[in-house]
Amino acid sequence: MLDTTRYEARQRVRGTLAFALLLGLFALLIIYIFPTIAESSADIDAFIESLPESFREGFGAETYTTIEGFVAAELYQTVWVLLLGLYMAYAGGGLLADDIESGRLYLVLATPIARKRVAFEKFLSLGLPIVVLNLSMPLFVFGGSIAIDYPLDPYYLLVVHVLSIPYLVLCGAIGLALSVVLDRGDAAQRGAIAVVFLLFLLDSVTLGTDVEWLGAISPTRYLDPTDILLHETVDLVDPLLLFVVAIVLVLLSLVHFQHRDL
Amino acid sequence: MAAIEVQGLTKAYGDTVANDHLDFTIESGEIFGYLGPNGAGKSTTIRQLMGFQAPTEGTARIFGHDVRSDRELRKAKARIGFLPGEPAFTPSVTGAELLDYQAALKGDERREELLDLFTPPLERQIREYSTGNKQMLAIVQAFMHDPDLLIMDEPTSGLDPLKQEAFHGFLREERDRGKTIFFSSHILGEVRRVCDRVGIIRDGKLVTVEHVEELLARGGKQVRVHTDQPLTEADFDVDGIVGFEAEGRQAQFTFTGDYNDLFAALADHHLVDIEIDEPPIEEVFMHFYGGEE
Repeated sequence: MLDTTRYEARQRVRGTLAFALLLGLFALLIIYIFPTIAESSADIDAFIESLPESFREGFGAETYTTIEGFVAAELYQTVWVLLLGLYMAYAGGGLLADDIESGRLYLVLATPIARKRVAFEKFLSLGLPIVVLNLSMPLFVFGGSIAIDYPLDPYYLLVVHVLSIPYLVLCGAIGLALSVVLDRGDAAQRGAIAVVFLLFLLDSVTLGTDVEWLGAISPTRYLDPTDILLHETVDLVDPLLLFVVAIVLVLLSLVHFQHRDL
Repeated sequence: MAAIEVQGLTKAYGDTVANDHLDFTIESGEIFGYLGPNGAGKSTTIRQLMGFQAPTEGTARIFGHDVRSDRELRKAKARIGFLPGEPAFTPSVTGAELLDYQAALKGDERREELLDLFTPPLERQIREYSTGNKQMLAIVQAFMHDPDLLIMDEPTSGLDPLKQEAFHGFLREERDRGKTIFFSSHILGEVRRVCDRVGIIRDGKLVTVEHVEELLARGGKQVRVHTDQPLTEADFDVDGIVGFEAEGRQAQFTFTGDYNDLFAALADHHLVDIEIDEPPIEEVFMHFYGGEE
């Protein structure tokens, strides 16, 4: 059971741990500067208010004078939503196309295992970075906030992480979809990054304009760490929607992969 | 029951027909060589047999299971060992990890025995492997679950001559144990040494399927003679001389007739040197199948 997931996940262990450490250290660095900003006499919030709305909204910047607002904007909207989203898309893009291109997949598909099962188990291996990063990151962030004596509410911190899972799964699913459609491994990986980044941009630049609805096709529209951390509002509908879309995308990818020539 | 039945198998990529209405049957317990020059369509047939690519037309059955259905073919796959052409592996895993993974998917009751014969450096990452080591690893994984049918694409490419010979001996032993072996090759000598029957494919079409002895009788030998007087074709009144060419006191031709007649004719001349060799496969095609289309 899940032999392919295990095999694939084992190859992700080192990269995931390195990434977790890197993100953790970056989080500590960001949190470490917070007291300087909070205690500075400059009116940073007035400065933020003067920024264009798409910029403010795109990076979730509302206030830098509370730890919640600061962490939400500096860490979660950028590093978590954008950077980790791109990472998951890239990882998803690498699930199949590269193995098809190199012929590695032939050895696996020669065994009595169904094609769609191979693809699904490979997709499940993305669970390793999702789980590890969602466990390590809140520890770093919460620990950092305690250390600087501006403690975050651990409940809403965890909520941010739990509710970001469907978003990350969807980014991985976008990668998977490109990975079953495209024939070249690097094209699928770069393509997935490009798609997620363009969707993020589309979401940001349309905010507050007449075509704001256009950005509604971007997954980033449905995840707002600032809302959760700063305003303490928890919306379950949006994450559920992301999750449903992810499932549909994965299913379509599996069906296509089942029937295509390799 | 036949191990493999290929019925009108056709694969087209756009305008290119890689396999054109192939028909042949491979009986259980035989070694069948699938011979053809590079680009003839051998790998395309193998990919369809393994269900990696869907036939444009026609089909094939393995142990009675239709290759067009993944669900059907999977019932046969537990009994198939597969060796792809130029086998590729995840570079960051070790040989042992790769075999463990394959074992989890299909079993490995013969792994240790095979590793006595084929010796890839299991503890090293595959990125450090030579072509020969990769080929040996692929051979071990192909046989380790003791399959009834082996489907192999150019199995000896990359092996050094000693390992090739060991592999050929191993194939004969496997056949004697009742295994069915289907492999592609572009080397006539290899097919001649190990196969019972041969199918020849060229430009996507099956040219002939016959027993190896018949093929060799038709394929003949390439003869080069060096005499002290120049020779012409008229000097030999013997059946079975094809493609006679002479340059000074050297002459060469392909011979498909009775060897005794040839030697009787040669006895009238003073030989300085003689070479009698397997013809390269290209020669076989040129002389015997060139005009058939």
